[in-house]
Amino acid sequence: MDDRSRAKEDLRVIRTLMERATIYRAISAPTALVGGVLSILSAVLIYLSGYPESSVGRVIRPREFAFIWIDVLVLTVIANAFFVWREAKSSGRPFISSGMRLALRAIAPNLIVPALFTIWFLKLGFLGAVELELVVIWVVFYGLALLSTALFAPRSLAILGWAFLLTGVSVPVVANAVEGLPDDVPNVVMGLTFGLYHLIYAACAWSRKRDPGEQPVDE
Amino acid sequence: MDFDKLDKIIHEKWRLAIMALLASRRSWSFQELKAELKMSDGNLITHMRTLHRLGLISVTKEMRGRPQTSYALTAKGRTSFRDHVAVLEQIVKQWKKN
Repeated sequence: MDDRSRAKEDLRVIRTLMERATIYRAISAPTALVGGVLSILSAVLIYLSGYPESSVGRVIRPREFAFIWIDVLVLTVIANAFFVWREAKSSGRPFISSGMRLALRAIAPNLIVPALFTIWFLKLGFLGAVELELVVIWVVFYGLALLSTALFAPRSLAILGWAFLLTGVSVPVVANAVEGLPDDVPNVVMGLTFGLYHLIYAACAWSRKRDPGEQPVDE
Repeated sequence: MDFDKLDKIIHEKWRLAIMALLASRRSWSFQELKAELKMSDGNLITHMRTLHRLGLISVTKEMRGRPQTSYALTAKGRTSFRDHVAVLEQIVKQWKKN
C-alpha cells in the first residue's frame, strides 16, 4: 500500500473508531434527577388538591393538570440545557455537539403526535375527560423518543425507553380490565413514570458515572 | 512533502487507533481499550508506554476495590492527533486533485 492509500485508509479507520466510540446520553443523571423530583412533587400536589385542607383548596381541573405537567417539562428542559452547557464548558466542547444533533434528529419525529394531541386537549379535549388518553400518549411517545436513540445511547437509556413504552401501552389494557379505577389514575401514571422511573434511572446513571472503570487492570 | 510532516510515532497503526479512541471520549480504561481494539495486554501496554513517555497521553491509577487504570489525551496529544489528521487529509486532498 502506498502512502496516499495508507493516508486514506487511516482516515477511514479513525472516522470509524471515533464514531463507534461516541455514545451520547440524551438524558443525563442530573437532568433525570431534576425531572424525577419535579414530577413526584407535581403528582403529590395534584393528588393532595382533592383534599379540602390542601394548600390548593380545590380539585385541579383537566387543563390545569396539563399545564402543570407542561411546566415540569419546560423546567426540566431548562435544567438539561444548563447541565449540557456546563459540561460543554468544562470539557471545551461545543454546546450543540454532533451527538446532540444526532439525538435531536432521532427524537423530533416522536414529538409531533404528543404535541398535536396536547394542543387539541388544551383547546377541546379537556371537556371530554380524556386525561388518561393524554397521559398514555405522553408516556408512550416519550418511550419511543428514548428508544429512537438506542443505537448510540447507553443501554440504561434504552431500558428506560422500554419501561415507558410498556407502561404506556399497558395502562389502557388495565383500565379496561379493572372496573372502578379511581379518577387520579392519570396522575399516578405520571408520578410513576416521569417521577419514579427517572429517579431510578438517575441513581443507576450516577453510579456508573462514578465508577467508569469496571474491569480489573492486568498491567 | 506532506509525508515528512506525519508524526512517525502516531502514524503507527495501533498507536493511531489508540489516539483516535482517546480523542473520542474524555477517558478510557485499559480493559475498554483492549476490548475495543482486540489487542493483547502486552501489545497494548507497550504502545501506551510509548505514548505516555512522549507526553501524548496521561495515565490515572485508582484503587476502587480493584486497581483501575484509565488513559486520556493530554493537550499535547490532542494537538498532535489533530495535526496528524490534518496532514492525512491534506495528502488525500492532493491525491484527488492530481
